[in-house]
Amino acid sequence: MSSQSIIEISNLVKRYEMGDEEVYALRDVSLTIGHNEYVAIMGPSGSGKSTLMNMLGCLDTPTSGTYLFSGHNVREMDDDDLAEIRNREIGFVFQTFNLLPRATALQNVELPLVYSGVSKEERQRRAQEALERVQLADRMTHKPNELSGGQRQRVAIARAIVTAPSIILADEPTGNLDTKTGHDIMALFRDLWQAGNTVILVTHEEDIARHARRIIRLRDGRIETDTVNPDA
Amino acid sequence: MRRISEVSESIRIAVESLRMNLLRSILTTAGVVVGVVLVVVMGWTIGGLDAVWEKTISIIGKDMLYIDKWDWTGRGNWRSLESRKDITLQHAELLKQKMESSEYVIPIARTWGGSVVRGNTSLRCSISGTTTEYGNTSAAELTTGRFFTSIEEVRGEKVVVIGHGVAKSLFNEQDPVGQLIKISSVPYRIIGVIEKRGFLFMDFIDNQVFIPLAAFRSTIGMFERSVSVGLKAGSERMLAVVRTEAIGHMRAIRNVPPGSADDFSINEMQAFDEQAKNIRVGIWIVGMGLTILAFIVGSIGIMNIMYVSVTERTKEIGVRKAIGARRSSILLQFLIESAMLCVIGAVIAFPIAQLIVGSARFLAVDVLHQEWASVVSPFVPLDLLGIAVGVSIVVGLAAGFLPALKASRLDPVEALRFEQ
Repeated sequence: MSSQSIIEISNLVKRYEMGDEEVYALRDVSLTIGHNEYVAIMGPSGSGKSTLMNMLGCLDTPTSGTYLFSGHNVREMDDDDLAEIRNREIGFVFQTFNLLPRATALQNVELPLVYSGVSKEERQRRAQEALERVQLADRMTHKPNELSGGQRQRVAIARAIVTAPSIILADEPTGNLDTKTGHDIMALFRDLWQAGNTVILVTHEEDIARHARRIIRLRDGRIETDTVNPDA
Repeated sequence: MRRISEVSESIRIAVESLRMNLLRSILTTAGVVVGVVLVVVMGWTIGGLDAVWEKTISIIGKDMLYIDKWDWTGRGNWRSLESRKDITLQHAELLKQKMESSEYVIPIARTWGGSVVRGNTSLRCSISGTTTEYGNTSAAELTTGRFFTSIEEVRGEKVVVIGHGVAKSLFNEQDPVGQLIKISSVPYRIIGVIEKRGFLFMDFIDNQVFIPLAAFRSTIGMFERSVSVGLKAGSERMLAVVRTEAIGHMRAIRNVPPGSADDFSINEMQAFDEQAKNIRVGIWIVGMGLTILAFIVGSIGIMNIMYVSVTERTKEIGVRKAIGARRSSILLQFLIESAMLCVIGAVIAFPIAQLIVGSARFLAVDVLHQEWASVVSPFVPLDLLGIAVGVSIVVGLAAGFLPALKASRLDPVEALRFEQ
């Protein structure tokens, strides 16, 4: 185990029972992701990339195989351990932003810190910092419906980075944005990567995947290719 | 630390969520409102009855015992009471010599059907002959003048202390002290007026006059008259001691054979307390039944709306879980929301209860002129506020538990995928 690797997956299997039928979403996936990598996970729908993302994000646990997150075995964790690891180690960015509609930008960004028990002053300070990093310092008291799509996604990114997580996990982060705004968001991910963060993108768009340094392609629950992207 | 920030976050979320659906929230709490109003009004009613009761009891004197041929609360067979030997002045005299634990032993000879006359006006009232010690009891607080002295008592002087009602009827606003009234055609000089004590069904108590025992004997006569003996115990704690001693002496004085029942009654306010207790218990049972019913209906409504709320916010729950909310955090959030719904109910209920209580008292005192009701508080008691809010919170937590549990157990992947 390299001291630099954050994610070590070996022989990972995820099986769902759909009535009498058994459906394999992931079959024998092995993968290592190290510190400060920029990875895109690609594949057509049904390839298992969403399932893999849920696994990587500790939202779901594998049927068999091992998943070590910073050396800790995720399969052995209970709900609260998983909640804690999601809270401290993982920053989620969703396609539909998933902000709380009734909370301000600042309150949305503070939320992960609420669940890790950070004091109110500290929470506000760190949330402000995170919003400054995504250039939204002037929109802190706005609610999501007062912000544009790009701004909402930036609030979501601020929420993802506010806990200084080990990985930032973005699921189709530009899927609901126009091309121009999508590019701005991708530029932001690049900045975060260059600042030393580990970024994992899940996408089906070649344009978006091209921003990453490493592209993993999935098909039928298996890794098809795992290549370094020379363009990035 | 984590819990504190989660609780304050949960409260903030709950307030916002309830405000978003304000009308729905208020309607949901209707059952709780009814429950709290019932609890509060019931508590107030019992409190009011206690106040009325306390006032009534204090008229007779809480530290007084009355030995009488008759039982005041109507216990015992009328025939067997009727056949009891009269209690004579001699009995009272002997008892007075023997009693050690009581402050005073006061014989009272009374006729209910007497009348007093001033000029051309005649007034029916009760006439009591007693000793100067009666003036030392709480039943003889004077507004003006004095009670008769032991010398006047022994000499049988024709002096009289009149009740508030008599003074009002015969003298209106005038000061009666020094005036003359006739009792059975014998002129008596008024020396004092007893303060107003009549209350509720005890109004007759103001319509009496007191004269020295010897004067009573000469003016009214003692023939075939059973006297009652008042014993002043000095304090409520001494009542039991005085009662036991008095019973022993009276049995000896009246030669009651060992083993047979007392041939006299000991009357005291405690005997009435038993009846008052039954009324209280009755109100509690009816009130609690209605209250529990209202809270059950209320909690079903709250449970229902909380299930709706959990379903509506499935996605939000998924997001919260994804960014690190534990099961317990989600559980807490929905429990707090449910409890707050109930607290809103209690908050709405209080002005309503106050309105009911205030109007009831206003109606009784100012419209129907029921003077006795004036001792009842016009305000909802504050300790009931605490109890009602506490009960509401418990009901809210109970009603919200299952929906909150459902929310806390949602699978984050499923919840995030949820679209309305």
